[in-house]
Amino acid sequence: MKTKIIISLCLITILSALFIGAADKTPIAFADGKLPDYIEFKIPDGWPKPPINIFAKNKLSEQGFQLGKKLFYDTRLSVDGNISCANCHQQFAAFATYDHDFSHGLNDQHTTRNAPALFNLAWMTRYHWDGGVNHIEVQPLSPLTSPMEMGETLEHVLAKLKKDSAYPKMFKAAFGTEEINSQRMLKALAQFTGSIVSSNSKYDKVLRGEAKFTYSEENGYKLFKEKCAGCHKEPLFTDNNFRNNGLEINTVLNDYGRMKITGDPKDSLKFKVPSLRNVAVSFPYMHDGRFQSLGGVIEHYRNGIVTTQPTLDPLLVNKFTITNAQKYELIYFLNTLTDTTVTKNPRFAK
Amino acid sequence: MNGKIIHTVCLLLSLCLLSFSNNQKQKPTNPGTVKITFKNTVKGNPLELNTGNYINPFGETYTVSKFKYYISNIFLVKGKVVSFSCEYPFEKPECYHLVDESKPESLQFSFPVIAGNYDSIRFMLGVDSLHNVSGAQTGALDPLNDMFWTWNSGYVMAKLEGKSPQSKIINNKLEFHIGGFMGEHNVLKNITLNFPQDKLLEVKEGKTTEIIIEADIDTWWQQPNEIKIAEHAVCSMPGALAKKIADNYCKMFRIKEIIN
Repeated sequence: MKTKIIISLCLITILSALFIGAADKTPIAFADGKLPDYIEFKIPDGWPKPPINIFAKNKLSEQGFQLGKKLFYDTRLSVDGNISCANCHQQFAAFATYDHDFSHGLNDQHTTRNAPALFNLAWMTRYHWDGGVNHIEVQPLSPLTSPMEMGETLEHVLAKLKKDSAYPKMFKAAFGTEEINSQRMLKALAQFTGSIVSSNSKYDKVLRGEAKFTYSEENGYKLFKEKCAGCHKEPLFTDNNFRNNGLEINTVLNDYGRMKITGDPKDSLKFKVPSLRNVAVSFPYMHDGRFQSLGGVIEHYRNGIVTTQPTLDPLLVNKFTITNAQKYELIYFLNTLTDTTVTKNPRFAK
Repeated sequence: MNGKIIHTVCLLLSLCLLSFSNNQKQKPTNPGTVKITFKNTVKGNPLELNTGNYINPFGETYTVSKFKYYISNIFLVKGKVVSFSCEYPFEKPECYHLVDESKPESLQFSFPVIAGNYDSIRFMLGVDSLHNVSGAQTGALDPLNDMFWTWNSGYVMAKLEGKSPQSKIINNKLEFHIGGFMGEHNVLKNITLNFPQDKLLEVKEGKTTEIIIEADIDTWWQQPNEIKIAEHAVCSMPGALAKKIADNYCKMFRIKEIIN
């Protein structure tokens, strides 16, 4: 009996001590006791853990996600009120720009690189084709302020949001007070874009035993593992590395990729390996959108690689021998990577 | 017997936890206040934005329209004793200061320090690498302050802009945006300034002690690296030139005065 009382007393002390510790960490911003509805970010079964937890200092919540989504689709983020993030990142194209080598920015200007698809961003540590952006939260600063894209200033955007009738309330619901600042805006956008996960394609279903490949898809998968998986590593279908895949340089753009960021000649002509998930809907391909079709891409690996570039990836030094039949089987397999939980999910739609 | 063991274990555990949660709230005991004031100068004369005409060691003339730099990771040292200006490891936005000549209120700031005598102050000129890779920041580190590169993430640690007839850039611009925090491009500078031996910094309980630090732009042009405007009027990315300029400007500070 006595022992039981002692144990209970101890437990109370321990729990209260823990509570004091926990209370210290609770953001004071939520003093009125109305915490947002926090969401757990789920890592698909069997997937690697993201290299950093992008939500560690930006706790994912339903209110934060909804605020981020509103911002993502809001054209007022651009100086002329015509361009939102979604203009170049269209859901039906897995958040790339459908059928455009370069996207349209302010005053009918073109960007100089193909808009990348947006999904599984939580597994990336470097963003953009050249990896110049080192955190998901600071990525939007680039298109927002680029004179070729949205052409705005942070000051103006924040002023517009503050004048809006809905935003102050949404910022309060997500972050505790009505204060609108750049950090909160960027964190909310990261909650939305970071939540887009592609892990439910036919390929995934086959791996989970919920579906079966056709004969051609199966052959294509075998060929993929043999020829492509060195860079397009499963399950993300990218190793998130920077490589030179032997494209002839476009002498108008003279885009040397990663070297622009690191200043290192060893990084000349290297670009980020894109994921092949949703590849069938995110054409055209490559950093400058030079290939319209998957057939064109495979043709490049068969016959188009410029082998004289000193930084050419060692995995590409020997030409790919792929028969015409294999080429089509490979395309059949790549089509199984389209994931409608990204492209058609109302949760990510406007 | 069994009860006693459980009791002891529980008691120890509770004490540990209680002391742990108390530790987190600890502030400097018997604090005094240290106020730092930055005085930006050229050859010892107060910097005059836009109107001042200056000559660098190579006879090139220039004006200054913007002069901004980050000061962070500040601590005071007394022998082996260290008193941090801010809760270690400097995670809060208020641990970072953007000194901006165009904003008089940014030229001075205060923080609590444990009372005692100190023989030097140490700080970083720039923003530590961790805060260059940790996503959206606020306060002095807010990208609104126009000190964050959006295309190649990272802070501009120091910025000097103006004009010079020797500049070969459009509109005779002079534009030094010095940044880079990784590997060989790292321009972060840890600065130590010793207080005069006959006048140590005396921090007294409940009182304010002032340190006046002078930052002189004339140091940007030489020693060890000659930077001539005719050759280099613009530096806007991490790299060799930024490193050279940073190796010069890291010597721009000196203790002007201590007011105990």
